[in-house]
Amino acid sequence: MTGLLSLQSITKAYPGVLANDAVDFDVQPGEIHALLGENGAGKSTLMKVLSGQTKPDGGRIVWKDDETSIASPQASKALGIGMVHQHFALFDGMSVGENVALGLGHEFDATQRDRIRAMSEKYGLPLNPDALVFTLSAGEKQRIEIVRALLGDPQLLILDEPTSVLTPQEADALFATLRLLRDEGRGLVFISHKLNEVRALCDRATILRGGKVVATCVPAEKSAEEIAEMMIGTRPVPTRKAKQKIGDLALSVSGLNSGDVRIPALEVRGGEIVGVAGVAGNGQEALYAVLSGETLAPDAGTINVHGQPVGRLGPGERRLLGAAFVPEERLGHAAVPDFSLIDNTLLSNIQTEGFQRRGLVDWNRTREHSEEICEAYDVRHAGVTGRASSLSGGNLQKFIVGRELIKNPSVLVVNQPTWGVDMGSATNIRDRLKALAEAGSAVLVISQDLDELFDLADRLCVLNHGALSDTRPTADWTAETLGVAMTGDADSPDAASQTEERAA
Amino acid sequence: MIRLVPRTQFGFWPTVFPLLIALVLTIVVGFVVMLAMSEKPLSDIWTLLTFPWQARTASVQWGFVLQKTSYLAVIAVGLSIGFRANVWNIGAEGQFAFGSIAAFAGYLICGMPDTVWFLPVMLAFGVLGGVLWALIPAALRVIANTNELLVSLMLVYVAANVLNYVTTGPWKGDPKAGQAESDPIHHSLQIVSIIERTDFHWGVVISGGAILVLAFIVLFTIFGYSLRVAQNTPRAQRFAGFSPNMTIWLSFIISGAMAGLGGAVYLSAETGKLIQSENYLNGLGFTAIVIAFLGRLHPIGIVAAAFLISYVNVGATYVQSASGVDDAVADLVQVTALFAVLGTAFLARYRVVFGTQALLSERTAS
Repeated sequence: MTGLLSLQSITKAYPGVLANDAVDFDVQPGEIHALLGENGAGKSTLMKVLSGQTKPDGGRIVWKDDETSIASPQASKALGIGMVHQHFALFDGMSVGENVALGLGHEFDATQRDRIRAMSEKYGLPLNPDALVFTLSAGEKQRIEIVRALLGDPQLLILDEPTSVLTPQEADALFATLRLLRDEGRGLVFISHKLNEVRALCDRATILRGGKVVATCVPAEKSAEEIAEMMIGTRPVPTRKAKQKIGDLALSVSGLNSGDVRIPALEVRGGEIVGVAGVAGNGQEALYAVLSGETLAPDAGTINVHGQPVGRLGPGERRLLGAAFVPEERLGHAAVPDFSLIDNTLLSNIQTEGFQRRGLVDWNRTREHSEEICEAYDVRHAGVTGRASSLSGGNLQKFIVGRELIKNPSVLVVNQPTWGVDMGSATNIRDRLKALAEAGSAVLVISQDLDELFDLADRLCVLNHGALSDTRPTADWTAETLGVAMTGDADSPDAASQTEERAA
Repeated sequence: MIRLVPRTQFGFWPTVFPLLIALVLTIVVGFVVMLAMSEKPLSDIWTLLTFPWQARTASVQWGFVLQKTSYLAVIAVGLSIGFRANVWNIGAEGQFAFGSIAAFAGYLICGMPDTVWFLPVMLAFGVLGGVLWALIPAALRVIANTNELLVSLMLVYVAANVLNYVTTGPWKGDPKAGQAESDPIHHSLQIVSIIERTDFHWGVVISGGAILVLAFIVLFTIFGYSLRVAQNTPRAQRFAGFSPNMTIWLSFIISGAMAGLGGAVYLSAETGKLIQSENYLNGLGFTAIVIAFLGRLHPIGIVAAAFLISYVNVGATYVQSASGVDDAVADLVQVTALFAVLGTAFLARYRVVFGTQALLSERTAS
């Protein structure tokens, strides 16, 4: 039995690592096949073999009963393999349509515009072909990648963590799309860290660990815990112990309307984690910016940190009051890609005591501190003089979060703490955030990952079209009520009350 | 098979290696240019490379080189501050001119003092003039979001016309001179040579001091760090809590101050008086832009680039007078160097690997 694609005994060695060790993997037409495994398990290598980016050292590739070799990405495409990458390969300054056309080697004209429109409507991936990419949210950019792959009419479609930036509703819509594609007889490979999605969507799952296939199963027949155990070898740590008492008001916002974001009231007390749920592109960036001071609020008094009005203060001055911030983008916002870890350590420590004296940087102190961060937060790196961009996403995120947590901030605002991060690092980061709150700090988590919010947050609110809802205890929300609040019509005047009714 | 592999580490060698390649490329092209332009190329190339020792007095030639180096370097180091932060002041020529005008104005305002002790005050007036002229594009950029590149460039021509106005109007000096010029400043205020009969004067030392101070600021202070952040990623600049507008103000103030200082020194050391713009300004402010990039915006690199370009320039002038080869050869060398330095810049970020080595590195990179 070979079906659409069959990889037999694929072996690929890198110096010091056997990335794929005699991996067998097959995809049938009309099947969604999950590929699971932690970062470093060998998923990426296997997908690079399929997409023609690398050649295996041994093993056979059988495509529709014929043995073949995939020499280049072009050959992979010509066979009928489409790929949706986790990291976007888009030109920011060009329109959606131009980006799509470029990937297909066409001019962007009216025909293409219609094709993109038709394709995006057919598969429930709303896109405006004329929008410029840099104006779009991460979720919308993801849709471009998917539409671009679909326009190539692939028989095998590989999706690398496609839902990491989608909301439950968007993900559901995507799943409908994927089922549609499956029913058209295509084969799909679905890579994800979200086990519930895999269980709901996929017909089969192959689990990799340390370069080897450890199991192939029907995911719906296993619990998420069982699959996770196969992936990482041990059971995930259970959620944290009972809540201890909540402290004083640390971060409060009232009557804030900055144009991009409207916050009637928001209070975060010491010892608690408040989550902000919301669909990508509903004002998360603006919310983060106004809370961190990267954009200033119209009035000083609308934002208070420990009772001090900070609305007109910049990030540095807010840090002096004990606040710390973690933005969504790792490279280019939270860290300078071409800077060493030492240089990047200074980035959020300009005002911190000990790093400078009368404007002179104490580089020894900064270097020591960068080593302390890497040590304390398990950042695997090749040396603190290495560039930030040379770290893996998970390790860089641990560094960026660690850089703030090591200061033991009394207020932490974090946007998408585990976006695109492998499971081990994500768990690590979440545990650290919980520990910070348990130690008495106020933590605000902006996230599009509901599992994450349910895991972390004591109370939840929803950001919809730039408006922040009331905050309610997490136990009062369900995924459904949240989903409704996240996608409700926020422009109507009684939207907030509607949200409340639905939530209640 | 040739591949480019991103470097993960910075160091001394990855920075210097591309510059050496650029130097070799420049020499090769310079060689070819000389072959084409000269009747006895080998001897002319030899003359160009060793002119200070060929000349009657080497110290005179070295004086020319150091004098030119000091003006180019002091302006270029100032400009590099803004260039590092993506603030484009290309109007140093105008700030230089205004530095001269302001220094002369200060001399007149203070009643034409005739003591050398007034010299620091006169230079301070020059610095102030450069700063004021540079503040115009900065303010327009911050307040009205105009393009500072265009505004600063346009102000060069305004400054040149102001210079023409004062030398033909209010401060007009000897009407029998062959050009429009002011009366000279008192001789005690004219910067003197350190070595007799050469152009190696105290102004070179003053400029050198200013460069040292600025280099220290760029390399070791939080402000220097903020410029590096701004150069790479404006969003990270906000994240760190640096104000983008403050960066614009400071970049213009510093580059204006350095160009203004250059202008005041020039007035005092070279001409001793203001002259109509065509005969006074000779493009130092523009050449300094090239120098800033040749030096990779690094103070040490800028001083080295200023020295090399000055050496070739003075050498070309010497060769022209000695054997009639057009000294435009210096311009060609300068342009070649700029292309070579910019063109090899990617080597600081990537390693080039060949053949089987490429396959190996592909493995380690994955």
